[in-house]
Amino acid sequence: MNFRCVTVLMATLSLSTPLLADALVVVVHPDNNTQLTTDDLSRLFLGRVRTFPNGESAVPINLAEGLGARETFDERALSRSSAQLKAYWSKLVFTGKGSPPQEADTIDEMVKLVATNPSIIGYVPESAADERVRIALRLE
Amino acid sequence: MKKSIMAISVATALFSGAAVANLHINGFASIKGGMSTSSDKSLYGYTDELDFKNESLFAIQVRSDLGDRLSVTAQVMGRGSDDFDARFEWAFLSYEISENMRINAGRLRTPFYRYSDFMDVGFAYDWLRVPQGVYGLGFNNIEGVSLYHTGQLGDFDSTAQLIYGSFSGDITLAGNSASANINNIAGVTWELERGLLSVRAAYLSGRSTINAPGLNPLFAGLHQAGFSNVVADLDFNDDTSEFFGLGVTLDQGQWVLVSEYNRINVKDTFFAKRENYYISMAYRFDAITPYISFEREDHRSKSEIYQPYRSILPPQLLQPLVAVVESQAVDSKTWSGGLRYDFHPSAAFKVQYSNENNTLMDSRNDVVAVGVDLVF
Repeated sequence: MNFRCVTVLMATLSLSTPLLADALVVVVHPDNNTQLTTDDLSRLFLGRVRTFPNGESAVPINLAEGLGARETFDERALSRSSAQLKAYWSKLVFTGKGSPPQEADTIDEMVKLVATNPSIIGYVPESAADERVRIALRLE
Repeated sequence: MKKSIMAISVATALFSGAAVANLHINGFASIKGGMSTSSDKSLYGYTDELDFKNESLFAIQVRSDLGDRLSVTAQVMGRGSDDFDARFEWAFLSYEISENMRINAGRLRTPFYRYSDFMDVGFAYDWLRVPQGVYGLGFNNIEGVSLYHTGQLGDFDSTAQLIYGSFSGDITLAGNSASANINNIAGVTWELERGLLSVRAAYLSGRSTINAPGLNPLFAGLHQAGFSNVVADLDFNDDTSEFFGLGVTLDQGQWVLVSEYNRINVKDTFFAKRENYYISMAYRFDAITPYISFEREDHRSKSEIYQPYRSILPPQLLQPLVAVVESQAVDSKTWSGGLRYDFHPSAAFKVQYSNENNTLMDSRNDVVAVGVDLVF
């Protein structure tokens, strides 16, 4: 068996498994030292508040629909299915009362966004949270 | 409702002070087909011929963020029942006074009911249609100003809305087409939500003037016969109109219970005193949500308007007078059952059967409908 092939297979496995097995972590910029509860988190991602508990402005970013971590987040942090959340946001969007968080298409992109802006709050599988970001909360 | 990373860059630019118009385009649509199971009866606009037009609709919404917390939103909708003629359903300016206070001005939705604001967005709720017994009043839009306030009250999330404006448009009154104006509409709604419980109350009042040419011969006849006081008790001439509504939702995650009640009165007119409510229960199995609901409409006609004149009025005036007053009476109960199936992240399939039992007419009407609600 070709060694390179195995490496590719290993890489593929390590890319897909974190989404399923890993703990999900809420990440912010390292300069952002706000303390968060899951209630705060849910209020931010449901558009009910737009500041961190310390009063600083907050910009929540979702992972794109279809990524496994997004679904996990919807269920663990917001206690709703993705379909319920879509219905929730359509209520606000079509009545001019709010719009859903913007989305990062990949986990890499999410880390980059969080690393460049102290207002941004996002979430990634724990293994993707490197030194560029600070873990604000773990979602088991 | 997907936002691209481009939008994020634009948003980031906005935070850094650059004025970039940020355009959001969203839409929703419903394609529904239905029919009544019995001939020569109709309900909700359906007959015993399968019809795909009656409840279908398409809408496009464009919102532009003008920066500095000002935005403008327009929603254009084409309803099958209007031959898909597109018209502005909403068009308003929105200014964020603070993080939890927002003022909207323009064409808005009258906030009578819990689902008023998004009653056309079928994707936002489980039913195939909002319960018509409670939502059937009309006057759904208002031109005016609205102030929204969101906040926290202890452990409750609170949403309050103040609205002021007017309505003008064509309606049907006692079987006659009519032009209606409701002025000085002032209203307040308040919703409190905590965990599984959410409670909403609404009160609106206004002054109604309705001109129905078909009723003028009766009014003129009464005037001529010297019964101007009866006309004053009948007609809609700047008359005080009041709406009071209460809503409760219990959402346990899987079980959802929704109920709304309202009472409506227009003083010194032949508009019946209306009391309506519904109670609905749904159970979410993953992607499938079956539900049942019960609706009650109780519209008590104001027979006290003609009772004192029964022996005085000539029959050619008494008969139409009684007919007009009694045309407002409704006493009906409706059972509905159906389900929502989320077969796609942006689309839901629905099927619903409704059976209305009208006690006064001693008639039963039913309708079965299927459809797809989507957002984009």
